[in-house]
Amino acid sequence: MATAGERLKVRSADGAAIIDLPSEVDATTETVLRDAYVGAAAATRTIAFNFGGVEYINSTGIAVIVGILARARADGHVVRAFGLSDHYREIFQITRLSDFMAIFPSESSALGPR
Amino acid sequence: MTGRDEAYWAKPVRTLTVRTVPADAVNANVAGRRVAGAAQGFGQLWHKRFRVRLDGARVSPQEVIRVWKDRFGDFWPKGARVFLPAAGIAPGEIGLINAGVPGAPTFATGILVIYADDVSFSFISPEGHPFTGPITFSAFDDDGTTVAEVEEFTRASDPLWELLMILPFVGGKIQNGQWVGTLGNLAAHWGAAADVETRIVCLDRGRQWSQAKNVWHNAGIHSAIHAIGAPLRRVARRVD
Repeated sequence: MATAGERLKVRSADGAAIIDLPSEVDATTETVLRDAYVGAAAATRTIAFNFGGVEYINSTGIAVIVGILARARADGHVVRAFGLSDHYREIFQITRLSDFMAIFPSESSALGPR
Repeated sequence: MTGRDEAYWAKPVRTLTVRTVPADAVNANVAGRRVAGAAQGFGQLWHKRFRVRLDGARVSPQEVIRVWKDRFGDFWPKGARVFLPAAGIAPGEIGLINAGVPGAPTFATGILVIYADDVSFSFISPEGHPFTGPITFSAFDDDGTTVAEVEEFTRASDPLWELLMILPFVGGKIQNGQWVGTLGNLAAHWGAAADVETRIVCLDRGRQWSQAKNVWHNAGIHSAIHAIGAPLRRVARRVD
């Protein structure tokens, strides 16, 4: 089985950092996601999270995401998300994470005017 | 794409609905309220993690969570009660919380279960609760020892709660004593030492003044008003 680190990728596009989340976001994702955020935040002000490949998020995974978002917000970064299925949009509503960051349907729209 | 986790998550609700109320519970400050996430709070944003290792206990993470769900309120320190729904801690269910000291009005609030599986569960609270943000209870294996954990990302919901939280001695006890006590009781249940490891980090020292208006939902104030109105409600019920 691939580790979270092997499946999570950070790339850049249009002056923003894009973090492609792994298929499973749980407690094992914490370190690699935090490291990815730190690296991305050092390079750019805008960070977009790609949820397109995510198939599983549990409660500790959401806690990991909340922690990263809270830190990004406190650091003054622009944080965006795209590629969320209807199910994950619902999770963002119930946890009110959708108030933490703007959600876009696609990568191109997430990298639009900012 | 449908997530494999779908059965474990609650569905979004605009406002909370309390279906059944135990006879001895005060149901206030929950029904009709929206849930509040960490972004909706007023005070400084804290990441808190409380852990206890169940050294010597031959118990799996799944068994810890099963018992924790079934007897959630039993592990709380004295002074507060939680009334769980008949369905127990399950996605979308709402629990009522009553707390207080003798002679003072019962402080009433509640929680919404937003996630529950066999090794973790999460709550979020309604507007007016002292804190906004998710709180997660979990258990996991660490080199053959089961560890129970409480993790929260929370802000005080309004300026009054924030003021209370920064009071020396009082604030820390209210904020952290609840989960240190709970994990200590959980450890004692399995005969383990109550050595609770606490890690508290302030993620954002700023206060969100745009959320100062949350004071209108303050559950402490509304609980006092609810208590003052209790005799009138009793009279009204007799007249009906």
